[in-house]
Amino acid sequence: MKISRNWLQKYFEKPLPNAEDIADALTFHAFEIEEQQGDSMDVKVLPNRAADCLCHRGIAKELSAILDVPMKKDPLREVLPEFPRTSALSVEVEDSQKCQRYMGALVRGVKIGPSPDWLCEALESVGQRSINNVVDATNYVMLNIGQPLHAFDAANLAQKDGTYKITVRVTDKVSETVDLLSVGEIIPQEGTLLITDGNSSKPLAIAGIKGGSQAGVTENTTDLIVESANFDGTMIRRTAQALKLITDASLRFQNRPSPELCAYGMRDVLSLITEIAGGEVEGVTDAYPACQERSREVSVSLSRINGVLGSDFSKEEVENVFKRLDLDTKTNGETFIVTPPFERIDLTPPAGGPEDLAEEAGRVLGYDQVPATELPPVSNEPNHARYRGIEKVKDFLVEKGFTEISTQSFAKDGEVMLANPLDKNMPALRASLDENMKKALAQAVYSAPLVFTPNEKPKLFEIGTIFTKDSEKLEVKTSEPISDLPAIQDDKNYIPQQYQLGSYQQFSVYPFITRDIALWVPSGTNASDVGKLIQNTAGELLVRTPYKFDEFSKDGKTSFAFSLIFQSFDRTLTDEEINVVIAGISEALKGEGYEVR
Amino acid sequence: MNQRGRLHPISIAIREISDIFGRMGFGIAYGPELEDEWHNFTALNVPADHPARDMQDTFWIKNDPGHVLRTHATSVTMRSLEEMSKTGATEMRMINPGKVFRNEATDMTHEAQFYQLDGFAVGPTGTVTLANLKGTFDRFYREYFGPNTKVRFRPSFFGFTEPSVEIDVWFEAPGKGGRWLETAGAGMLHPNVLRNAGLDPEKTQGFAFGGGLERLLMVKYGIPDVRLFHSGDIRFVYGFEEKKV
Repeated sequence: MKISRNWLQKYFEKPLPNAEDIADALTFHAFEIEEQQGDSMDVKVLPNRAADCLCHRGIAKELSAILDVPMKKDPLREVLPEFPRTSALSVEVEDSQKCQRYMGALVRGVKIGPSPDWLCEALESVGQRSINNVVDATNYVMLNIGQPLHAFDAANLAQKDGTYKITVRVTDKVSETVDLLSVGEIIPQEGTLLITDGNSSKPLAIAGIKGGSQAGVTENTTDLIVESANFDGTMIRRTAQALKLITDASLRFQNRPSPELCAYGMRDVLSLITEIAGGEVEGVTDAYPACQERSREVSVSLSRINGVLGSDFSKEEVENVFKRLDLDTKTNGETFIVTPPFERIDLTPPAGGPEDLAEEAGRVLGYDQVPATELPPVSNEPNHARYRGIEKVKDFLVEKGFTEISTQSFAKDGEVMLANPLDKNMPALRASLDENMKKALAQAVYSAPLVFTPNEKPKLFEIGTIFTKDSEKLEVKTSEPISDLPAIQDDKNYIPQQYQLGSYQQFSVYPFITRDIALWVPSGTNASDVGKLIQNTAGELLVRTPYKFDEFSKDGKTSFAFSLIFQSFDRTLTDEEINVVIAGISEALKGEGYEVR
Repeated sequence: MNQRGRLHPISIAIREISDIFGRMGFGIAYGPELEDEWHNFTALNVPADHPARDMQDTFWIKNDPGHVLRTHATSVTMRSLEEMSKTGATEMRMINPGKVFRNEATDMTHEAQFYQLDGFAVGPTGTVTLANLKGTFDRFYREYFGPNTKVRFRPSFFGFTEPSVEIDVWFEAPGKGGRWLETAGAGMLHPNVLRNAGLDPEKTQGFAFGGGLERLLMVKYGIPDVRLFHSGDIRFVYGFEEKKV
């Protein structure tokens, strides 16, 4: 989520550190920063905090705790006003599981127009476009405190006895079309939750995801119905995915913000709309069937916190962290009894518990304060028998000249099929390693000159899991039969061979060319000197050291035969250019007095 | 001619890592790649409606709705914890190197199948702490990457741990400057996970960790593309100078 430093600054008297330092503070105490550009940063809010931190207020609250700088105001701690009630708007929620709260407000006499500069700038600072004052107000409040909001043009809703009616219901059995703003007409899946005009039954919006054109705000709009609601997170996520319509609103709802937040969102958006678009709030109708006061208390002792973290934090340090986080805390001896604020659903039971409070203490004080302590020794010898049994078979095969390969578990055919394969041509789990071995061997035979000497031949093995109808097992597959291959058996005493590897040298993907060169040299000439001469003359297209595959002596002369392999990292070589290289090598050899055959 | 074969670099890494963790008292555990939902998700405190359970992240098995290709080797940890509860053991340390699967598009740094180095240590309450997790990784990285490495934690979130952290390591590649690399996710096992294994979270406590194995090798040896590992191509296996230790 994009966050602007200037916007955050509105929450503090004291000037905030620069954006880089803010990014650091967040990274090590709260959330990773994906990108930081000038005063804007992209904060990767963690899933458990997306209910309260997908907004500037949430990030400001975190910063206040991390930097230990008080906020000058916190909209979620300011007392809510008594909203005026109205009989001109009624709200009906058919399923309080799907819609936990729906607040609607009727605002009359607004004048749609451009937004003031400060508002346009604020939206632009987080990559949003200004549309008009009313739509901007709803977006601003969402980005500010996290409550998604929507405004409908009341003139497009029917009235019955002078009353507008919002009905939150699922789609009818008959396919119902909804004309969405900037998307067009769609037919949502049966069971999709809609905001509808309760008097005409016309759909106005896909609940929590996108508003419809039916009652979109236009330049002629004067009366508004403003929505501040709370919809079930799982339902919103599934619907948004089905519609391929991930919106700012759906992202927030799917993370289950508290329904309490609706009232704060309503308060702020009504105040902003009337400030910048005029009009008067006729009244607010609040359908909150799910409202219930639950105890939010969690307790944790200091010794439990230090026992989890392995730290040595004092009671005062921890108490101070809770205070900075604005957690209502009472102490009883060494025990903290914490009542998290309504928006911290991550700390509230059943999601939250003592470990969550330990985490709050650890991350705010800083994980760099947690020492690195080695584990105490264990009493029993650790169990490596299965591992050693597997590695023993590998060592056996390596000694016999086999090279280990690893291949994909997906296959064309098999006994176990995937419900959702990534590659439609590989819909099964391998039932044997045969197919992959065949392919790998063919490839290995082709590449053999690059890695083997001419008198070696590729022999491969793989140890991997295969899947049959009722079970899976580890199979050993070799590219050719081997008589005394042992079965995999637990072996607690075998010590697998250890290797050290050097840096990886990437191979070329272009074809290679092999050439042989044979020559007579005076007896006693050192073959490796000749090889070196060839290598130095051949230049960088020569891969591998020239390999001497033949040598014999006759009449006081010795014959050497070398095999050479040429390959380029950036092109396919032609015979002509290698002819030139070979001619150069011949010249050099002749220059030494050797006779090239 | 006495031709000698070669081990795949993943095998070489698992041996080196097993040795290091073995010296810290960790055993080595294996488990099924085709896993049930309980061990892969439910028992690990990943709720039924969690996005990770959606089709786009996880491979599901046709005509067998309760089974998935494991998305992490933490499922093996769950099985070990159940074993502990059955045998009445009070402490256990294991690493679980193994193949895992994610239903995501592949590129130079992403594969739909890769190895994870997963593991855990549990003991009586107060004996295995977040500080021990740091100490374990501090030593592991020093022995695996070299003496100049450092470890740091950043806050994170996983359903099966609380607190949760990302483990970064400071690594100085030969010929290059040092940099911080994100290498693993970890944390203290969530009480619900211990409870689901039949252990008493008031008496038992521990940490768990998991991270991509290929990524460690890519950093250590300068391997440019994760897709090389399971391509079956011997040119990859022979792309390293190899020395017996």
